[in-house]
Amino acid sequence: MIVSSGPAAPYEVIDSTRLAPIIALKNIVKSYTMGGVEVHAIRGISLIVEKGEFVAIMGTSGSGKSTLMNIIGCLDVPSAGHYRLDGVNIRHLDDRAVSRIRNKKIGFVFQGFNLIPRMAAIQNVELPMAYAGVKPAERRKRAVVALGMVGLGDRLDHFSNELSGGQQQRVAIARAMCTNPSLILADEPTGNLDSRSSAELMSLFTGLHDQGRTIVMITHEPDIAEYASRVIVLRDGEVVSDRAQSATHAVSYELEPSARYSFGNTGDEN
Amino acid sequence: MSTALGNLVMAIRGIGSNWLRTLLTMLGVLIGVASVIVLLAIGTGSSQSIEKSIESLGSNTLTVFASRSSSSSGTSIRNSTLNTASVTALSNSLNDPDVKSVSPVVTTSVTATYDGSTYTTSVIGSTASYLAAENYTVSAGRSISRADVTNHAQVIDIGTSVASALFATGSDPLGKQIQLGSSEFTVVGLLASKGSSGLSNEDAVAIAPYTAVQDQLTGESQSFSELLVQGKSSSTLTIAESEVESTLASLNDTTVANLPFTVIDSASLLSTATSSSKTFTALLGWVAAVSLLVGAIGVMNIMLVTVTERTREIGIRKAIGARKGVILTQFLIESTVISFLGGICGALAGILVSRFKIDGVKPVLASYSIPLALGVAISVGIVAGFYPAHRAASLRPIDALRYE
Repeated sequence: MIVSSGPAAPYEVIDSTRLAPIIALKNIVKSYTMGGVEVHAIRGISLIVEKGEFVAIMGTSGSGKSTLMNIIGCLDVPSAGHYRLDGVNIRHLDDRAVSRIRNKKIGFVFQGFNLIPRMAAIQNVELPMAYAGVKPAERRKRAVVALGMVGLGDRLDHFSNELSGGQQQRVAIARAMCTNPSLILADEPTGNLDSRSSAELMSLFTGLHDQGRTIVMITHEPDIAEYASRVIVLRDGEVVSDRAQSATHAVSYELEPSARYSFGNTGDEN
Repeated sequence: MSTALGNLVMAIRGIGSNWLRTLLTMLGVLIGVASVIVLLAIGTGSSQSIEKSIESLGSNTLTVFASRSSSSSGTSIRNSTLNTASVTALSNSLNDPDVKSVSPVVTTSVTATYDGSTYTTSVIGSTASYLAAENYTVSAGRSISRADVTNHAQVIDIGTSVASALFATGSDPLGKQIQLGSSEFTVVGLLASKGSSGLSNEDAVAIAPYTAVQDQLTGESQSFSELLVQGKSSSTLTIAESEVESTLASLNDTTVANLPFTVIDSASLLSTATSSSKTFTALLGWVAAVSLLVGAIGVMNIMLVTVTERTREIGIRKAIGARKGVILTQFLIESTVISFLGGICGALAGILVSRFKIDGVKPVLASYSIPLALGVAISVGIVAGFYPAHRAASLRPIDALRYE
């Protein structure tokens, strides 16, 4: 939880009742110079994502979708514009505060899985909770539940090189959701997976969405985007299309019983 | 804090992930620490053996020589020899309250013969007090006595080297007549072995009354080659020294500054030797410190490589919420653990090597060297790890994640 303890707090809490949108982007611009040439990756994007939405951001390579995802994930800062994540203005936050936001409000799922090598699946899942200061026994319990939820209850101690791509990505999802973040941010999550693993993974996302979680997913594959409830298309750093759709692929995959376990209020503080 | 333990576990796992490289890095620290310990032990051992050999020369003693430089002054100095008058004057406790004993010394080197065996030994002509001043003890028989000196008795105490060279094992030298030059001396006592001091063989010696030595071996001469003065205690030795100097000056009608004798203090000889051996030990320590420095550079190099290699991992950790401090701590712990393990192994290796005699010197572990070397090893880990760790912690997550 982000708690404002007085005027000295480095960021403001706009709405503690959580009615604020999860993502509020206003006139976001990102430009950088590359080889002396100024590149405008994002040319003024304004966007609201409400709690419980499943948004797919599409676009070709160079459309600015990765830059946008980095800004949403607090991995990069915009050149201009305002960004509020879950009511918190993330501008001018120091390293400590941004780390805490990444830790507690965002769960990342990357194209390349990005598990830490030489660490077992369960240790990978425990890691963000360790950074959040969750007690070892508690984080192990939660990691076991999260891995059970993604169907890897029998592979807790496998290392990433002993897992298939689909399994690794499911570990990544377990890692992303175990801190009960406001937002799950997925960057081409199926980019390195075959179609069968992709379908399984998307069913997982659908299940998480059904639980009421907010998901923002970057993809360039239209059939993957069809799982989302809203599709935003970027071109040359601008939004060219933003439409709601009914997810059509809610099929054939049921979350395992343990998935009904609902993460309570994490309430963990350092 | 549970994360501290977690960090440690993570660090050890990180170290284990490339054990060969870690081992080589640790080897650098190990050699550095071990050489610090061993070289300091060699330094300490050799300085102790020097001190021991100087101590065996006699404690609390002053040696008075006739100085040669006095003749170059041109003025003829009357009575400028060490003789019985000097001994009597110095033995007067009114003049020299801090002098315990004064032993006149006449030395010569002769070939001793007994029953066909010969041995060249130094013969010291002196009095009974010489033995006490020079730390000689008699293991069998008796020491030369005051009466022997008065009577010009041809009796002698012999050292173990002399005894074993002249007499067959099992035979008792006491009471036997040995031939020294053209005279015969009766063995009345055996000196206990003082061992080889490294400088000279303290057992290749024979002590006889100076009167008999003057009569039979050095020819007619009333002067002594030196006087051995034993002080009452080491703390008053400098006072004793000035008393001796002023007594000799008044006896010879001159001033202390123009004294035709030189007085040497065994303590000052000891302190000179001690300070030079300390310099030697310090020099060895510096040589070892250089190898420790090389080890430190190795640790830093490896940590830099590790940071580069694990850039992506750092990016992942930052993306899932690791603070700068956490990354910094992780890498610092890794480098410290490497140096610490290297240091421990190095200390063990150093202790082990110090048990053996190296180049004729028995190393003596300096008690300060182990904590010193370990402390330096750990500091090396922290210092050498800091820059790489800081670099890792300062990486922007976006750059770190993109790193291939």
